[in-house]
Amino acid sequence: DAVAVLPAPQNLSVQSTNMKHVLTWSPVVVPEEIIHYSVEYQGEYESLYMSHIWIPSSWCSPTAGPECDITDDITATVPYNLRVRAVLGSQTSAWSTLKQPFNQNSTILTPPGMEVTQDGFHLVIKLEDLGPQFEYFVAYWRKESGAEEHVKMVMNGGVPVHLETMEPGSAYCVKAQTFVKAIGRHSAFSQAECVKVQGETLPL
Amino acid sequence: DLRRCLISTDVHTIEESFRGIKKAIQAKDIFQNVTILSPSETLHSIKPSDVCCVTKNLLAFYMDRVFKDHLEPNPQILRKISSIANSFLSMQKTLQQCQKQRLCHCGQEATNATRIIHDNYDQLEVRSAAIKSLGELDIFLAWIDKHHHGTSA
Repeated sequence: DAVAVLPAPQNLSVQSTNMKHVLTWSPVVVPEEIIHYSVEYQGEYESLYMSHIWIPSSWCSPTAGPECDITDDITATVPYNLRVRAVLGSQTSAWSTLKQPFNQNSTILTPPGMEVTQDGFHLVIKLEDLGPQFEYFVAYWRKESGAEEHVKMVMNGGVPVHLETMEPGSAYCVKAQTFVKAIGRHSAFSQAECVKVQGETLPL
Repeated sequence: DLRRCLISTDVHTIEESFRGIKKAIQAKDIFQNVTILSPSETLHSIKPSDVCCVTKNLLAFYMDRVFKDHLEPNPQILRKISSIANSFLSMQKTLQQCQKQRLCHCGQEATNATRIIHDNYDQLEVRSAAIKSLGELDIFLAWIDKHHHGTSA
């Protein structure tokens, strides 16, 4: 190994929201030099059975920025070890390893964006497309006391979905949450959005 | 008690990972007329009550032997194998929950089927056996997919 005069990256951390995972670290600064980085990972399988095996990240071996989208590398719901080193020509720093292994089941799940519209008397929702791992629970009800809440499971975002044929002169409200089967968790519900037949969206 | 211990892991994601490396792996298999998982005799005759045990045993077969015995130089293939191995580890943890609830009983046929597969593996030189077993992953994945539909435990 080259003598590690190049300082190792510090402050590794992972930000994960809606199953998108980004590893970040503090940049290594060497005056008048452009530093690159190399990211590697090992899943729990490797750390248990083949601890010497580290796998080059799909997108960041090498990379210029002090961050790396590791979403495509994290493919199972098990802890993953992550490490980074700086590269300058043939020189490499020591590896810096993420203190705590990362597991995708810790991702932050946000309520989905949604567009509630009416097509004539039809109540229609279009949900934010968060990717193939996401399913959506949509709850909707007629805005009157004692109204029953209906639930519909939507498998894909990004496409309009018919919810209900509305009664003239009535108002309907809708809210939605996401569910990720791979980690067995769901988001909080979104704010409810209401529409009045032939009217605009009512503020809450 | 017909209630089985089922895996809810999305097998299709694993199948997708395997499809990405199947051709490259099977091209390295030089013993084309030999099989290790031998579907016609072994896996297809497994009774529902033995499904959990055989699944557990075959996950262990791949985790303890196949993935360890195969040395992969190509990073792209290594990533796919890692993805499959870690998904199997996740599935294994699910089955371990079943074992605690004594839902993963091993009948004689399940034990025999597992032994046949290990015996087939031992017939070949270890690297060849590992590459062949990797190439037969689709047989195992299809079997899991077929036998693990329905609600999870």
